[in-house]
Amino acid sequence: MGLPGILGLALGMMTRRLWLGAMMGGLISIVATLLFAHWDFANVATTELLIAIVVGLCAGTLGSAIRIKGATV
Amino acid sequence: MADSPEKRGWIGRIWNAIWTPAVMFSSGFLILSGFLAGIMFWGGFHWTLELTNTEEFCTSCHTMETNLGEYRETIHYNNHSGVRAICSDCHVPHEWNHKIKAKIMAVKDVYHELAGTISTPEKYEAHRLSMASTVWKKMKASDSRECRNCHNFDYMDFTIQEARAASEHQRAIDNSMTCIDCHQGIAHSLPQGYQEEYQKITDALASETTGKLQQQVADGSTEIRSYLTTQSD
Repeated sequence: MGLPGILGLALGMMTRRLWLGAMMGGLISIVATLLFAHWDFANVATTELLIAIVVGLCAGTLGSAIRIKGATV
Repeated sequence: MADSPEKRGWIGRIWNAIWTPAVMFSSGFLILSGFLAGIMFWGGFHWTLELTNTEEFCTSCHTMETNLGEYRETIHYNNHSGVRAICSDCHVPHEWNHKIKAKIMAVKDVYHELAGTISTPEKYEAHRLSMASTVWKKMKASDSRECRNCHNFDYMDFTIQEARAASEHQRAIDNSMTCIDCHQGIAHSLPQGYQEEYQKITDALASETTGKLQQQVADGSTEIRSYLTTQSD
């Protein structure tokens, strides 16, 4: 899953709102990609960033779905 | 009541929350979140551990300046190929169990930095032999494990080595010697009386090994006698 997937899932599990989970997953994927690129967009390939965002969005949404299914709060 | 929830402090409330069964979360949710937390903790732990293996970290203490200066004069710092061995390559094992042991033992370095045990050149020189001796003993006992992470007799081409080096390496293989037997002072200056000290280490380790062998023989003597008696019958 990589860092966007792991962090996206973890952040998604913190909310019951699917859109918020997806958004946090997407944002964290951008941060994670930049972290590995030493905080320089010049070192980031567009495809790499897009894949990371998609993974982050999916993981965040999945995290929120797990929260809805597995928790009452 | 003294322990009623209303009168508890924040530590008491946290303690209570930790030990109260989670009724809001399903087992699946807790397992998944625990798994994720485990991944992140393990990643963070490894990342932090690797940060303590960097040259910058090792030499950030004042007392390590002498070591650093000496190391910078050696082939492990500056050479024709640009391949380097930093502090952790020689002083921190790669294998997990040995690495964690080395990291725990390294806590004493923090104590000695704070206590100023080797804070002046005079103090450093006074402790140089004992510090070197400790490292040599570890290397001799581990068959120079950290050297062998990069150097391996199996892949040494003696034909392109200097004649003396090739001859000495062949002698080392023939006599089951280890790297540190000859290469003391490869990264730091040698103290006075180092040869006598190294001989003491070699003798001490040899006697330990002999003692263990003799103990094994003594432990197994009854079995051996019994076996021989059975065979002769």
